Amino acid sequence: MEMSRLPVSASQRAKLISAGYTSLSSLSSVSPFDLARDLKISDNEAHEILKVASHSSRLGSSDGSHAIVHGAQTAWDMLHEEELLARITTSCADLDNILGGGINCKEVTEIGGVPGIGKTQLGIQLAVNVQIPVNYGGLGGKAIYIDTEGSFMVERALQVAKACLEDILEYNGSVRKKFQVCEVKMQPEDFLENMFYFRICSYSEQIAVINYLEKFISENKDVKAVIIDSVTFHFRQDFEDMALRTRLLSGMALKLMKLAKKFSLAVVILNQVTTKYSEGSFHLNLALGDSWSHACTNRVILYWNGNERYAYIDKSPSLRSASAPVFCDRERDPEFSFKLVNESK
Amino acid sequence: MKPENLLQQPLSTQKCTVGCPLLDSFLGGGIPCNSVTELVSESGCGKTQLCLQLLLSAQLPVSLGGLAASSLFIHSEFPFPSRRLQQLSHSFRSSHPNLFGSNDPCDRIFVHAVHSADQLLDILHRIDPLLADTQNQLPIKLIVIDSIAALFRSEFDNTPSDLKRRSSLFFKISGKLKSQAKRFGLAVVVTNQVVDLVVSPDGMNGLKVGNLSCLYSSGRRVCPALGISWANCVNSRLFLSRNEEIVGEETGLVDVGSGDLICKSTVEIPLEANKGAQKGAPKQRPGATQRLKQSTKEKHGAA
Repeated sequence: MEMSRLPVSASQRAKLISAGYTSLSSLSSVSPFDLARDLKISDNEAHEILKVASHSSRLGSSDGSHAIVHGAQTAWDMLHEEELLARITTSCADLDNILGGGINCKEVTEIGGVPGIGKTQLGIQLAVNVQIPVNYGGLGGKAIYIDTEGSFMVERALQVAKACLEDILEYNGSVRKKFQVCEVKMQPEDFLENMFYFRICSYSEQIAVINYLEKFISENKDVKAVIIDSVTFHFRQDFEDMALRTRLLSGMALKLMKLAKKFSLAVVILNQVTTKYSEGSFHLNLALGDSWSHACTNRVILYWNGNERYAYIDKSPSLRSASAPVFCDRERDPEFSFKLVNESK
Repeated sequence: MKPENLLQQPLSTQKCTVGCPLLDSFLGGGIPCNSVTELVSESGCGKTQLCLQLLLSAQLPVSLGGLAASSLFIHSEFPFPSRRLQQLSHSFRSSHPNLFGSNDPCDRIFVHAVHSADQLLDILHRIDPLLADTQNQLPIKLIVIDSIAALFRSEFDNTPSDLKRRSSLFFKISGKLKSQAKRFGLAVVVTNQVVDLVVSPDGMNGLKVGNLSCLYSSGRRVCPALGISWANCVNSRLFLSRNEEIVGEETGLVDVGSGDLICKSTVEIPLEANKGAQKGAPKQRPGATQRLKQSTKEKHGAA
C-alpha cells in the first residue's frame, strides 16, 4: 500500500516520505522512538502514526501486496520469548540435559517406548513437576492428564507428589537464605487436586475431550501441561479405514499444536511401539504410522540398553540427536528425584 | 465432560487379595480394580491355582481384603478344574466358617467356556447387563480369563494379514475389558503363557519388554507369549516362574520388579497354594521340596 493512502495529515505524510518511509511495510518494524527521532516529532505523535499504519495495513491486507501479517513476530522476539519460558523438568538430570532443560512449553513432545519402559511414570512425573512453584524453578501450573489405557494409579501419583515435595523442601533448606519468605505450604494432596484427570474409553471420547480442551483451558488458564497417555491405544482397534484414521489423528494433532501455542503450555503425547515388517525383517517403530511422525515437534524414544533405560532424541527442530540414561539409580545420581519405592531386597 | 477429582475417590485403588499375605504385600494389597492384570508363566507354575484362589477370595468382605463380590471365570483351557475348585472352596469355607453359613462359595462363581477369540469378544459384549445388575446381592467385580494365550496361539497363521487381524483383536478385547473395568470397577485378570527366547542376549535390546533383566523359568530364558502388541494391552504384568532347585523348606521365591522402575524385590513366600496340589507339580522329586520362583512386573509401581 502506498504511503499516499495512509490517513494521516499532509505534513506528517511529507515528513514520512522525506525521511524515506515510502511504503507501509517500511513502518512495520520501526519503533515509535526511532520514528520520532527520524521525523523530529513527539513520541506520542509517532505512536499515533504507527497505530494508524498498522490499522490500515490490516484493512488493506486483502489486496495482498506488502501487507503486514497480523500476529507475525520477528524471530528475535520469539527468541526472547522462548528464553523467558520455563521448562518442565523431568526430574532426571541427564534427560533434562539432552532436552535442553526439560519439556518445552508451546511445543508438542511425543514420548514413545516399549511396554514397561516407564512412559506412564514419566507422564505422572511431568504432571507433578509442572506444579512446582515458580520460586523453586517450576511453572506453578496445573496439569491435564488424559488416560486412555487405565494405567494411571492414584497411589503412584501420590508417591511421586510426595517425593517431589521432599525435593522442594530439600531445595528450600539449601537456599533458605535467599528465599526466606516463601515457605512451602503445599501438601501432596494439593498436587492431585491440581491434576485434571480424564479417563477415556473409546477413540470418539478421546476426540471429544481434545475438542473440549480449548474451552476447558480458557476457563482454567493456569493449566501448563497436557499429558495424553497414550494417544495410540484406541486408534489401534476398530479401524478398517486407515485413511480415516490418519485424518482423525492429524486433526487431533493440529488441535494440540494450536493449544500448545495459544495457551503456551506443554503437550506431552505418549505413544506405543509396534513391529514393522519391511524387507524381510521386523523393526520396532513408534505406532500410528509415518504420517503421525509429522504431528509432533519433538520425539523422544525410550529404549533398553542392556539393563538400563535410555532416552534418545529422535526428532527435534532445536536439539541435537543425543541419548542419555534415564531413571538411573538414586545412588549413582543424587539429583535423581524419581523416588523408588521398593528398591531394597 | 468433566475431569474427575482425584481426591474424591479413595487415595488408593481397591484391591482384591490373592489369598497369600506376602504376595499381597508386594502387590500393594492384591489385584487392583479398574485395570487389567496379566499373570504369565509356563505351565505348572500355579496360574490356574492362583486364579481359582482369586475367585474365592473376591467373595471376602472388603474388611478382609476381598471385593464382596461374585466373579466370572472364562476359560479356554479344558477341562475346567472343578474338582480342584471344590477342594479349595472346602478349605476356604472352613477357614472362614462364619462368613458363608450354608452358602456354597462356588455358587458365586460363574463359569463360561470359550473356544475362539471372536467368541470371547462376543461374550464380553454380552455380559454388560450382567455386570450392571445392581439387584444382585453380590455383583460381579472380578473377571478372570484363563488363558488368553490359548485362544491366540493356534488359530492364527504367521502371515501379515493374520497377524494384523490378531493384533486388532488384542486391542478390541483389551479395550472392552478396560472400559468394563473402569465402568463397573472390576478387577480383570488374564493369564498368558511363555515362549522360549531364542534371540542372542545383545540382539534383543529393542525387543525387551518389561523391566527384569531376564526372565528365567525352569532354567530356560523365556518371555511372555503374544508379542509386543499384547504387552501394550495390559496394565500390569505378573511373572511366575519355577526354579527346580532343592531347598530345605517349602518356600517360594517372588521377584517383584515393580513400578516400571528399576526396583526389584525378592521375597520368599510359603506357597500355601501348593499344599495338596502335588499333582500340579509333576516334576517334583519324591521327598524333595520344590522352590518356586515367581517374578512379577507391575507397571504401576503401587507396590
